[in-house]
Amino acid sequence: MKAVPTVFAARSGAAAIVAMAVLALVGREFVNGDPFAVAGPALAPPGGAHLFGTDDLGRDVFTGVIHGAALSLIVGFSAAALSAVIGLLVGGIAGAGEKRLDAALMRVTEFAQALPRFFLIVTLVSLFGGRLTLIVIALGLTAWPATARLFRAQVLSLKSREFVIAARAAGARDFTVLWRHALPIALPVLAAQMSFQAGGAILGEAGLSFLGLGDPNVMSWGTQLGAAQFFVREAWWMSVFPGLAVTLTVLACNLLAEGVTHRDRFSR
Amino acid sequence: MTALSIWRWVVRRLLLAFLVVCGMTILTFVLIHAAPGDPIYVLAGDGGTPSYYADMRAKYGLDRSVADQFVRYANAVGRADFGYSFMYQAPVTRVLGQHAPASLLLGVTALLIATVGGVGIGILTASRPHGVLDRVVRNVNVVAFSAPVFWTGQILIIVVAVQLRLLPAGGITSARDDLTGIAFVVDVARHLVLPAITLAMPFMAVVSGVSRAAVVDALSEPYILAASARGVPRRVLIWKHAAAIAAVPIVALVGEHAASVVAGGALTEALFGWPGLGYLVLHASLHRDYPLVTASFIVISSSVVLANAVTDLLCARLDPRIMLA
Amino acid sequence: MPIIEVWATIRPVRAFNSAILATALIVIAACRQNREIAQPVTLVVSLTGDPGPLNPAVTTSGNTHPVTDQIFNGLVGLDESLQPVPELAESWRIEDSGRVYRFVLRKDVSWHDGRAFTSADVKFTFEEALLKYHSRTRAALTDLVSAIETPGPHEVVFRLKRPYGPLLQRLDVVEASIIPKHAFVGEDLLSGAPTRRPIGTGPFKFVSYAPADRVVLEKNASYFRRGLPGVDRLVFRIMPNAATSVAALEQGEIDYVGSVAGPDLERLRHTQGIAVVAGSGGSGGSICQDVLIPNLSRPPLGDVRVRRAIMAALDRPFVVDRVYFGQGRPATGPISHLLAWAYTPDVRQYPHDTAVAERWLDEAGLRRARGGERFAVTFTHANTQQRFAQAVREQLKGVGVTVNLQTLDFNAAVDRVFVKKDFDLGMASYCNGADPDIGVRRVYVSSNIGPLPFSNGAGYHNDRVDRLFDEAAELVDRESRRARYAQIQRILADEVPYFWIIDSEGLRAHRTAFEGFRLWTGALAETVHVTGQSR
Repeated sequence: MKAVPTVFAARSGAAAIVAMAVLALVGREFVNGDPFAVAGPALAPPGGAHLFGTDDLGRDVFTGVIHGAALSLIVGFSAAALSAVIGLLVGGIAGAGEKRLDAALMRVTEFAQALPRFFLIVTLVSLFGGRLTLIVIALGLTAWPATARLFRAQVLSLKSREFVIAARAAGARDFTVLWRHALPIALPVLAAQMSFQAGGAILGEAGLSFLGLGDPNVMSWGTQLGAAQFFVREAWWMSVFPGLAVTLTVLACNLLAEGVTHRDRFSR
Repeated sequence: MTALSIWRWVVRRLLLAFLVVCGMTILTFVLIHAAPGDPIYVLAGDGGTPSYYADMRAKYGLDRSVADQFVRYANAVGRADFGYSFMYQAPVTRVLGQHAPASLLLGVTALLIATVGGVGIGILTASRPHGVLDRVVRNVNVVAFSAPVFWTGQILIIVVAVQLRLLPAGGITSARDDLTGIAFVVDVARHLVLPAITLAMPFMAVVSGVSRAAVVDALSEPYILAASARGVPRRVLIWKHAAAIAAVPIVALVGEHAASVVAGGALTEALFGWPGLGYLVLHASLHRDYPLVTASFIVISSSVVLANAVTDLLCARLDPRIMLA
Repeated sequence: MPIIEVWATIRPVRAFNSAILATALIVIAACRQNREIAQPVTLVVSLTGDPGPLNPAVTTSGNTHPVTDQIFNGLVGLDESLQPVPELAESWRIEDSGRVYRFVLRKDVSWHDGRAFTSADVKFTFEEALLKYHSRTRAALTDLVSAIETPGPHEVVFRLKRPYGPLLQRLDVVEASIIPKHAFVGEDLLSGAPTRRPIGTGPFKFVSYAPADRVVLEKNASYFRRGLPGVDRLVFRIMPNAATSVAALEQGEIDYVGSVAGPDLERLRHTQGIAVVAGSGGSGGSICQDVLIPNLSRPPLGDVRVRRAIMAALDRPFVVDRVYFGQGRPATGPISHLLAWAYTPDVRQYPHDTAVAERWLDEAGLRRARGGERFAVTFTHANTQQRFAQAVREQLKGVGVTVNLQTLDFNAAVDRVFVKKDFDLGMASYCNGADPDIGVRRVYVSSNIGPLPFSNGAGYHNDRVDRLFDEAAELVDRESRRARYAQIQRILADEVPYFWIIDSEGLRAHRTAFEGFRLWTGALAETVHVTGQSR
């Protein structure tokens, strides 16, 4: 399967994420100020003291973007990690276990996959309030089926490999053998899946904030975009810069995912 | 595919659908009742006395215990009676029926744009791999896939609707006129353009990527190489033979995501004020309209199951190697 | 027009022809402009949500009333100073110093289905609908009204248990729309057929309702006010997205927007053909104030010195300007300045002064700890109030008060603050109504402390204030009532049981092609007509 330079993709994706993480952590120290503080006149265009302009309450957009970086990355990768853990457990047990357990777990997975993901999260958040932990958990809990399927396929394909049969013959327990061997082989694909899902989670959080359902105590890009939608004509900078930030971060996640699998992530 | 395996497959799907319906009923009912906030204050107006609210609760049947309400509701769902929407004071089925066409229209149009456009672009780029078009398209694709849908939509609105005034900024029909016939169809079509394109973009990126890969793969199949050696023109090779081979993964892809594209229009609907199910679910949740939210979830998840089943069938027909699992 | 220019350069004669062509085109274009006001004259208004069942006597919903207030009438109407004017009642007498209200009804009113309007409809509306299902009317009038008599087909008498001054303000179309008795025979008031196809007496008749799309009304040719309404059709477009409605207004697709989002105001003000106007009343609630609610049972908010300090720490002009985009004025007390006859500015003021605030907090014994914090509170609010909450947080942080924001969706926030009373700071938009007794009293009287939304959420208890409110309700003439309300305002401004932020003056926008909007009441469109063409 020939694809455009994947190593380049992987490297640039990873580099971008690392750069962003560094920027986020270090930037917070250097960038002066609280993203919520009134730093200047409202709706000031970019330039001068305000690199990205100010928003409708006079808050500096650039400060907000920097602070949002750390948050988005945390939200994205936490949700992805949660989904990975659940997916690994379910997929691994299904693949390694006996037929009936497998069938039962697969039914559960199919059910979880049929849930309309965004609707469910919107309902959850609008009912219980937009707290960051709830959002991360909701995002993670709705994304695991794909990972589970992936890992299960991996485990199943290993079941019939010679070294596994040999190991079992030698008395090693099924679970240990499969897990110890399946996990390392599946790692690149799983890492890619995680990266891909992190991107999705970042988009999800941004979407919730856009609908007014995000967490107001933290400055995330989603919060900025949510405020920006009312000023789209007066202050394009309120929406362009955070929007670009989200796009670039998700882009980096997707590139990383693509590169790590050494093939176009979209193909089967 | 034996008759027995088809049977088993059908039974399995039905079982899944049934499980989904049950699961969604229980899930949403539990969620909504666990959530804070009493719908009576939304339904019955403010400034009343406690006795007034007690009377109104009785009127709406909200004074019974949760378990009792659930039993009644479950029975009703079993009879396909989804109850009465609090917000609209109309049967839920009617409300859903009034909002579903808008969502379907948007979702299906977006799906069509994404599929046709994506496949076309994919094939074009596959015919000249690593060429200029290919590189440009690949970059645009990854960006289109990564950008938040409500952001790209906003930008489209600013540029096309506000600055250029080419298309309306939102809604499904023109506010002023009461059009019928062709004029009505044209009006809806004009309003459909921007939201459909916005919704289609991420998926179009995916489809074009997959199509490209599939066609490139197909082009290296021995039978194609042989045909090429025999002198079959390149155009025919690509658009006819390779495309046919590539059809299977593309159909599988579209099928797998069709349901989520249609159901995932919620953000686009919110941005463009498009009166579909997404808008409905959001407002119903905010107003604690239990019957409406539960029914919406049931309908949406059942459609997802149905769509997946149809896709599986289609793929199995297209490619005899795939067995209905 | 390139074609014309090319023509003109070819031959001089063509220039003459092209002039004719150009003139013709201009005339046609001008005619097209006027085509906007072509027959039938249609006024298009935006509505933010589906109206639901169209029975105004059983709901206070801000989505239902904008529609029904054009279809129905009340016994009286209200003029700009909120004084009653005749509507379904052509005259009235107040007897027994406010214990008996005798109304003489018009004899020329008929329902949209042709049947005659009589006092039986009034009695039915009150006894079967308003006093049972309308939250505010039931709460206010159940203990008050001892009987509603109909001595004749055009006479109604309200007998009250005690004198009540503001009764007439509760009898307009917004608070007490009159519904037809004959239409509701055998029909459920909340969901029966007349709630889908309403029959009223008002300037507009119901034509159709397409959910999530539009409600269409047409002119009532036999309306009892001759010459009204001035438009032939009234269409309500359901547009939940504020940005879309403003865009539609600018593109000429709709003619009136009931509330303009702050960011769009400046642009609309400078747009040709659009007028931005201030309104105070209306179907969704009249004369509203946004108020921050402290939970007085939670220290240190129970200490009046702390509350005064917080008032001084809040920069209300900034909030009005930035958060509310200038749609209002900083509030000084429990009554909005828009309720002019009852309002007095002669109360204790709290200009923004952080130094004074800090001193008062020190005096109250709440010194700054090492990290700079004096104490912390949680502000429970709805996600629609986020910008306000963030501004408050910053302002109070400046004097050492840490505010943690808890954002919930609207219902959950109302539940938390009013029903469960589990909050430190909450927020509400309290509408004064057409009379202080309608919307002000319920916030400050101790009898209204309870698990009810929009009641006395702070838990304020002052016997003198309770008595003053009772006295003011029992008097009939405005002067003596005004004196009582002035005293109330002075006491409350001193004790600061609530933090009044803004007297809202919601701005609306309409196309200048139409004029005559009545912006202080719900019956908005009755007198609207094409600009320059009054009939």
